[in-house]
Amino acid sequence: MTKRVAIVGIGQTKCGYNIDGFNHKELLYLATKQALNDAGIQREQITSAFTTSLDFTEGRSLSNQYSLDSIGGVMKPCDLRLGEDGIYGVFAGYMEVMQRPAQIVVVASVQKASDRGPGADATLMLSTQETNYVRPVLANLPAPAAVEYCLAAMEARRYMHCYSITEAQIAKVAVKNYNNATRNPMAQNGKKITLDDVLSSEIVSWPLRSLMVAQPGDGACTLVLASEEMAAELTDNPVWIMGIGWCSETGYIATSELAKAKFISTAARRAYAMAGIKHPASEIDLAEVYDNCTFNELQYCEALGLCGEGEGGRFIDSGASEIGGSLPVNPSGGLLGHGNPLGTAGLMRVAQAALQLRGEAGDYQIPNAEVAVVQGCQWPYRAGGVVVLSKW
Amino acid sequence: MARRVAIVGVGMDKFARQKDESVDEMVYKVAKNALDNAGLPREAIDAVVFGCAVDAFTATSAAEKVAIGGAGGWLRPTMRNCTSGSTAISTAILGYLHVASGLYDVVMCICFEKMSDCRPHPQHVFNTVYDEMWVRPIGLNVPIQCGLEARRYLYRYGITELQMAKVSVKNHGNAVDNPYAQLGRKLTVEDVMKSPYISWPVKVLDTSPTTDGARAVIFASEDVAREITDGPVWVKGVGRCGDSCWFMGRRNYDLGRIDYAYEAARQAYEMANIKDPSEEIDAAEVYDPFTYKEMQHCEALGLCPEGGAGRMIDEGIFLREGKLPVNPSGGLLGEGNPIGAGMSRLCWAYLQVKGQAGACQVAKDVKTAVCNGWGGMYQYNAVMVIGRD
Repeated sequence: MTKRVAIVGIGQTKCGYNIDGFNHKELLYLATKQALNDAGIQREQITSAFTTSLDFTEGRSLSNQYSLDSIGGVMKPCDLRLGEDGIYGVFAGYMEVMQRPAQIVVVASVQKASDRGPGADATLMLSTQETNYVRPVLANLPAPAAVEYCLAAMEARRYMHCYSITEAQIAKVAVKNYNNATRNPMAQNGKKITLDDVLSSEIVSWPLRSLMVAQPGDGACTLVLASEEMAAELTDNPVWIMGIGWCSETGYIATSELAKAKFISTAARRAYAMAGIKHPASEIDLAEVYDNCTFNELQYCEALGLCGEGEGGRFIDSGASEIGGSLPVNPSGGLLGHGNPLGTAGLMRVAQAALQLRGEAGDYQIPNAEVAVVQGCQWPYRAGGVVVLSKW
Repeated sequence: MARRVAIVGVGMDKFARQKDESVDEMVYKVAKNALDNAGLPREAIDAVVFGCAVDAFTATSAAEKVAIGGAGGWLRPTMRNCTSGSTAISTAILGYLHVASGLYDVVMCICFEKMSDCRPHPQHVFNTVYDEMWVRPIGLNVPIQCGLEARRYLYRYGITELQMAKVSVKNHGNAVDNPYAQLGRKLTVEDVMKSPYISWPVKVLDTSPTTDGARAVIFASEDVAREITDGPVWVKGVGRCGDSCWFMGRRNYDLGRIDYAYEAARQAYEMANIKDPSEEIDAAEVYDPFTYKEMQHCEALGLCPEGGAGRMIDEGIFLREGKLPVNPSGGLLGEGNPIGAGMSRLCWAYLQVKGQAGACQVAKDVKTAVCNGWGGMYQYNAVMVIGRD
């Protein structure tokens, strides 16, 4: 039985809003072609694929079925579609390789938020909530456009209250990530901004301000996975998947402890155990985290054990998570800076971390990066997963 | 090599046109039944895999999230697969992967569908699976596309509407003995032939009903299976395949031959080391949302020669007491068709191998059984072969 699974090909489009007029099939084709070229394989060599997509964000039921042509998956076992964030594709791909090692497995995801048009996301986010008890409450909000932000704001308020996190601290995450993104040529929202800019931006749902929430965008990402034996033939620069874990809380917001991301800490525990990591804060060189809203980055860093519980504020204050810091978080710019193609963003985090470990991250390269942790999330659900990557 | 994986329990509940239960409640019932059937406590479940066809039926994005509690999935890994009709078996294959890969020992697979919430009729949802620019504006939905496909299939192989009607009679009749069935009834060929066309040559009684329901299957590693059961039922082969969703992109440009299903079956039989399915398979639970689909799938699964399903029906080979019983439970036509929860096919295949199918049990000893799921825009197929040692 193969012991390990490697990422042998990485492909991604840049993030943006209506990128050069490409439709979602074309975006996915571009990312996949790039990943296949990167792995040095032809589409005929793909043996299996997993796609991830969410029907409601695509505006199409069974939204993966037009992906098969784009990823070279026709007449192959490429039908399986996970209605989850892209990072779940890595989990399924990992299992597929472990089950039958002589395979080249493609994991792909695409999102085209620009098809939805402005304002559509409010209805969309309402549809994620339970129909009988939760949705009617949210539907009565005075400004329905803020549904997604209201959900996040409740969580933010609770988190900040429990651990005395300040608005300035959650604003610092935005400053860091937008600035990081200026170094990333694939990023949608790179900009040099200051703390004052963030704290004076418009409130979308207190305490969240417009510069603290990731704006939806377009983008596609494809990874090629292979077993240890296959990877040795394909590449000199594999990135190993050392640990995976994923976890869900319930779909009812009322039954969740909002201050803590328990689903992430549970998933992380499993991923670290697989990877043999005992002290994440000292053993991990960089993290790519699902910073859907600024406070999420702090909350998830705590859940990932990159800092202690409740210490997210001190963690950002210390500068440790800056590109030059001791444990850089989201050097790519994260969802805030790099881009937030909903449902693809988690897979993009994996791709970005893998680029770092290969030493191919250009201006935002972390020197000597060997171990990375990546976290994805199926926002706004309390469900998500963790991947530990290693260069060796 | 992959680890061996066994099925150790199934959870069933009644299928109905409208169940006065939420998704969460439906899921809870089948999960509980599956745990009881396997003799396992809830804590034994390592991970949960959900399947539902499309979100739009319940108008909830990621509809399974509200059912995580009911499935016993709280603070556990959960994952959802959705490939329309083939969800039925592809979800089971995803559950199998969880165990075969060595990641988990006991995995609960739950498929559910609540179609009655969809007003006025779920067919409106099916129109939304098509490409928004080129196909959706034509107004296609499932019956219309079925008419096209059926017509081509009948023409290509010389199958008759009368032969299709016999499948309907068989499956509705078999469902009379199925305690979970929605539409068990004794029909005659005349009844079926006289029923109105919904999309020529497919008639109302050639068509499965709209259904609410759920099913659960528990997969376990060899170690666990040997501990909790004397006669494990093994997953012997899995196969899945997707063709292009564009009609003009299909491999052979012919709706009448379902190449993707032949390919999925080939993979599953190769893995199960089955050379001649028509001899080695003892019973089949085949995805039959329409009568002609059962015939097409029987051919693709190698239960009869290509184009030979009509003759098999005429000769009674596929009857419950026949040489190779197909859908002795009543299939989707008789039991009901809650799209994703068509995983009932796997549940019944398991019960047949276990000899626990009650009044639906076939006369012969069933050592190996096959089941499949079909979906997407008529281009996905997933096949699973299960059996005893």
